[in-house]
Amino acid sequence: MRATLIIINHNGRHLLETSLPAAVAAARAAGDHAVMVADDASTDDSLEFVSRDFPEVRFLAFPRGGFGRTCNRAVEAAETEAAVLLNNDVVVTEDFLPPLLADLAEESVFAVGCKFLNPDGSLTHALGNRVSGEWRRGLLYLHHETDPELLTETCPQLYANGGGMAFRRRAWEALGGFDDLYLPIYWEDADLGYRAWGRGWRVLYEPASVVYHDQGSTMGRIQRPPQVELISARNAVLFTWKNLLDRGQFRRTLAAQSRWVTDDVLVGGLPNRMRALLAATKRLAPAARCRARESRERTVSDEEILRRARGESA
Amino acid sequence: MSAPNRTVLLLTFARRGEERAIQAAMAALTARIPGARVIAVGTPVSAPVLRALGIADILVYGDGKSARRVIEEAQLFMPETVGIVYDDPGFRAHLKLEALAFVVGAKTIWRFRPGGEAALGAQASSLPVRMGRFGLALSVLAKGLQMLVRLGVGMALTGFACSYLCWYGRSRGGRGASRT
Repeated sequence: MRATLIIINHNGRHLLETSLPAAVAAARAAGDHAVMVADDASTDDSLEFVSRDFPEVRFLAFPRGGFGRTCNRAVEAAETEAAVLLNNDVVVTEDFLPPLLADLAEESVFAVGCKFLNPDGSLTHALGNRVSGEWRRGLLYLHHETDPELLTETCPQLYANGGGMAFRRRAWEALGGFDDLYLPIYWEDADLGYRAWGRGWRVLYEPASVVYHDQGSTMGRIQRPPQVELISARNAVLFTWKNLLDRGQFRRTLAAQSRWVTDDVLVGGLPNRMRALLAATKRLAPAARCRARESRERTVSDEEILRRARGESA
Repeated sequence: MSAPNRTVLLLTFARRGEERAIQAAMAALTARIPGARVIAVGTPVSAPVLRALGIADILVYGDGKSARRVIEEAQLFMPETVGIVYDDPGFRAHLKLEALAFVVGAKTIWRFRPGGEAALGAQASSLPVRMGRFGLALSVLAKGLQMLVRLGVGMALTGFACSYLCWYGRSRGGRGASRT
């Protein structure tokens, strides 16, 4: 199976200096695979750097679209059966690709996520390792496995983080890729994984496919600015509105969301979670359209999705 | 003439890392009421933190014991003074602690500054606000009303979202709920 390694870039020339050579080396080591830089309207010299130092790498410059839309455009432009999305601050190991492609050979597998490590070899928390989920207090709470002992074998996970995930393009297209509902960023990969499980596919975690993530290089990942926090919180709400189809759980979740406003801080303006609710309401119409589609195409219940993603058999 | 009751009820959602703030609040309270006997209300989680601070009498609720039972036990001590340490920025937490202070019948309430863990340094805790029963009742009432308004707004928002999502789904022929 041929793959295209797609590095999503926005003004990250300094990051490409490290991540691109590693991606090119991995593509070569694994055989005849392509490498692409999908650029989200960079204003730095990313284009010059890539075309000068890596002429074999395809550089696609897209108009400003946000993370999800740029990924969709890049995947559409790729010409291989499989694709691997990589953040520009993710440095792959030379042998990271074959285990991913081996997992994807199974028809039931939609996507496979890498093992994310910090440069010092510890597990990174910014990008999730073996993610599972649980409906709690009005949201889907995501749990990232932090015990290295439990991350030694290929296993199911709820979704593969968009910073390092491989997938079959045909399945990606069938799912419609990342949903614009979440633009500019956050929760689009969780949504995609959830929808894949909901249609009967599987998403795996592959510990043999190791990549390194330099947390410090990513803007605001450790301490995100309030505006970015709000986008993430809004998208968490939109995720529930779009994807939670189980009537009882949906009612309980919305009831919990309505109580959020009583939890929030007494002083300091409008409470954060209330602002997230208000922001989500502005996208209610597209969320309803997406939900209606989910309702038509879903074949697996919400409860079953989470159970399967935890690796629990029926 | 009966001797003044020197029991001080300490109300807090003590958590690890907030010991300094609680200690400062205790020091401020015992400085105002020499020889005071401090009794705290806590949860199974907060009890060890309070115990480590030297509070021997802790009324623990949760773990099978209802809040009502704890209130009854606290009332038996007839505390005239209550110290509230806001170590949680949550709105509901504020209301809960003040309501508890009111129902145990305390006459004087020392409220240590709200604003979360960051604001609860020793300095903040040494500057408590004194309230009488009337002031406390007003505060509980105002917070209760505010809570109702907030709940109303929240329910209106999510109710609207829920109705719209369900209506749209039905109008497009969706099932509305999934099955395996």
